[in-house]
Amino acid sequence: MRWRIALACLMCTVLAACSGGAHGRHLSFSGSALGQEGALIRTQLARFAAQHPGVDISVRITPDAANQRHQLYVQWLNAHVPEPDVLQLDIVWTAEFAAAGWIRPLAIDTTDFFPAAAQANRWRGVLYAVPWFVDAGLLYWRTDLFADAPASIDALRADATRAQRERGVANGLVWSGARYEGVVTVFIEYLAAFGGRIFDDDGAIVVDSPQAVRALTFMRDSLGEQGFVPVSALSWQEEQVRFAFQNGQSAFMRNWPYAWALLQDPQRSRVANHIAIAPMPPAAGGRPSAALGGAQLAINRYTREPELAASLVEFLTAPVQMLERARIASQLPARRSLYDGPDLGRALPMPIADVRRALDATVARPVTPVYSEMSEILQVHLHRALTSQEEPSTALHGAAREIRALLDRSGLRGAAS
Amino acid sequence: MSRALAAILIAMLLGPIAWMLAASVLPENQIFSGAPIQGLLHASFDHYRALFDERGFLLPIRNSLIVAGLTTIIALPCATLCAYALARLPMRGKGLFLALLLAVSMFPQISVVAPLFLVLRATGLIDTYPGLVLPYVTFTMPLAVWLLTGFFRQLPRDLEDAALIDGASRLRVIRDVVLPVAAPGLASTAILMFLYCWNEFLFALSFTFGPEHQTVPVAIALFRGRYQIAWGEVLAGAAVATLPVVIVVLAFQRRIVAGLTSGAMKG
Amino acid sequence: MIAHDRRTADSRLARLFVAPVILIVGATAPVPIASTVWAALHQRDLRLPWLGQPFVGLANFVEAAGDRRFLDAVLHTVMFAAMTVPIELALGLAVALVMHRVQRGRAIVRAAALLPWAIPTVVAALVWRLVFDNTTTMFGFDWFSNSRAAWIPIAAADVWKTTPFVAVLLLAGLQTIDQEIYESARLDGASATRQLFTITVPLLAPAIVVAAAFRTLDALRLFDLPYVMTGGGPGTATEPLSLYAFVALMERLRFGYGSALSISVFALTFLVALAFVRSLGHASRVEAS
Repeated sequence: MRWRIALACLMCTVLAACSGGAHGRHLSFSGSALGQEGALIRTQLARFAAQHPGVDISVRITPDAANQRHQLYVQWLNAHVPEPDVLQLDIVWTAEFAAAGWIRPLAIDTTDFFPAAAQANRWRGVLYAVPWFVDAGLLYWRTDLFADAPASIDALRADATRAQRERGVANGLVWSGARYEGVVTVFIEYLAAFGGRIFDDDGAIVVDSPQAVRALTFMRDSLGEQGFVPVSALSWQEEQVRFAFQNGQSAFMRNWPYAWALLQDPQRSRVANHIAIAPMPPAAGGRPSAALGGAQLAINRYTREPELAASLVEFLTAPVQMLERARIASQLPARRSLYDGPDLGRALPMPIADVRRALDATVARPVTPVYSEMSEILQVHLHRALTSQEEPSTALHGAAREIRALLDRSGLRGAAS
Repeated sequence: MSRALAAILIAMLLGPIAWMLAASVLPENQIFSGAPIQGLLHASFDHYRALFDERGFLLPIRNSLIVAGLTTIIALPCATLCAYALARLPMRGKGLFLALLLAVSMFPQISVVAPLFLVLRATGLIDTYPGLVLPYVTFTMPLAVWLLTGFFRQLPRDLEDAALIDGASRLRVIRDVVLPVAAPGLASTAILMFLYCWNEFLFALSFTFGPEHQTVPVAIALFRGRYQIAWGEVLAGAAVATLPVVIVVLAFQRRIVAGLTSGAMKG
Repeated sequence: MIAHDRRTADSRLARLFVAPVILIVGATAPVPIASTVWAALHQRDLRLPWLGQPFVGLANFVEAAGDRRFLDAVLHTVMFAAMTVPIELALGLAVALVMHRVQRGRAIVRAAALLPWAIPTVVAALVWRLVFDNTTTMFGFDWFSNSRAAWIPIAAADVWKTTPFVAVLLLAGLQTIDQEIYESARLDGASATRQLFTITVPLLAPAIVVAAAFRTLDALRLFDLPYVMTGGGPGTATEPLSLYAFVALMERLRFGYGSALSISVFALTFLVALAFVRSLGHASRVEAS
């Protein structure tokens, strides 16, 4: 009996050695691999492997909760681990990882990508990641309550208030106001709507400009009894916001594109077939805006297969794969040209023209390695203003002061874009 | 203690679990609606099915059981012997030793994670069972030693002294006299260690890469999408995950009772 | 055996018994701890490699002392411990008494009492979040957007989860109390309450102190629950010290400052631990005399 086992072991070892020789090259991909996205990415990776004989690709699942994925990446890259070779990054991580020297510069042509998205992936002029799919903050509105999207911030306020007071809808507008990255994305839309910015063209901090104060004051005044946004929104993240709108409890919602498909499901949603989207409307002196988000692909600096990894990145961001992603996972492609043809309209369940309008109006968050700290400063001060612990001007001046100190400490003054 | 009070206490402890179980059979959008009772009319075991078919949830349960079991099996005897030595045997620098041990366990996990990752990687233990068991043993041992030392100190010396005078060797005294009486303390410590491993999240997330070695808390954390939490499956997963623990705890119940009765008969 | 020989044999045995612990802990713990101490004394921001890793002495600690968020976090942590530990002790004692006294269905009751502890912390956090979110839907008061009230769900989850732990510690102690003491007290006419306060609690005092010690030390290192339930919000109102240290390390990549914060957590818990050890030593000295 024992010799049988020994023979089996020997055969296994020989087989393993053989397969090791024939399939010598290995790539590892890390990103969202749950549910539909998981099946999709595996299909696409298998397609790539078929085009590159001798290459075998594996998926390393990381939690989708952004801070957990971020923590894992930090640990791995800090330890100079060669895998995963290709990483899915949030849009605000690129500058940070690039400055830390953890991802490789890329020589990929980005003319077809949305300029704002490509720009957000450049650090000191060099491209470090490629936009994979984009997200834009959208204003969802109820077509059964309104004929048109509001054309201005004031119209938004009027419509939302009217819906709440006269049409019996519980809330006018809902957005994700919990103290996390989400509230910053909401804020930058209001900021752009009122003509404000976080940095001006010279890299100076202008988050406490009069326009910014007006934007934050508007946000604060829209909360509570006198306004049209529920106070509980200050502890909501995207899902609670979606549920409120989905259950018919709000006339407007500000959320990301992922919600569309769920809202259109008549089994679960009370507002199915009664929704439309638009960018956040402008106030006087501002512009329509949509916070820019999405995922990017980057290459691990310590990878053992740099050219192969680059090929994989190019493959995954090719129009064919992007269209497939739109069709199966309802994620918006990062290539502008795809929005011109008819294929995307058939693939995506969302109205393409409105999506295009929003994507053309995107406003990016500051591209800097210290973004997460900067965001924390903003989050804390925004929350203080929104919960009326501080006046908006005090809060923003405080934020500006702390951001300046942060940039000084980091040797980055004047280097942020 | 009145029966009513006891019932209230148990109800308080089990209430949220009952809510959890009820919610785990509700369709997803009913879970936040605030009226689980009505929702029960639509109850189904979909989430449980998804748990096993789509998520392969047996794997993390197996991994948690192995890691927690190994940790307890390794750490408990070491801690017991060490605690006995600190409680009963002559040794220099006991205070210092205990203090150092305590200092180790007081060190926050969060700062230890990154350097420990480097160490484990250097020794090739990342994404293996030993890679988790080693940190777990290291960080449960000090508290276990502390706890058991106090426990041993509290036991009356008469039984041991009598046996020693009778000519028994120290080892025999430990095996035949001390351990049976110490069974409650040992069982408590074992449960403590087991549940520490069962609950532990940060190390498990950081030191494992894939489903082959990930434990239950990590698997459940992976049920969270970018914005959405698969609530139904999280709750079903929690329900399923507590089952092995209940079984293990029930097994330890017998130990406590058995240890006591045998101790009483010997004494 | 002559006493001296026994003593030598015992000494040798003691060293043998202690060796495995020294080996295991000594192999794993020193490097990460030393690394943390080293990092705390240096400026080390992973995002800004051009700043290098200069030695800065105690500068990180000085920064922490002047950091309002750090001081708030310390306050949150201490107050949380002060709030939850007494409740956990009282409830734990009650549950331990139930587990000890119940005769029928004993094993089931004990297993049931331990269930909350068996639920992974991340799940308990999510479940309690669910419970409180549901009460918001039912009663209209939003716990999680109120800076003071947001601690209540966290405390509730913590008490719920760790009461079984305290109960188990106390149960072990309860089982070593000689039943005859209760018998004679009962014969003397003492009521159940009287027995509780004059017999049970004093005899359990060492176990209670141990339970209090463990719970306090765990409460001071609170991390998982606020991490999952509130993320430290609203604002930073529910951010304990460990969470702030984690943010500094993993989200801001300031390994130097984050390590200094971690050492602060350590210092706080270690000092409290020493205080408990002293009081335990004192208690056992009093007991022995």
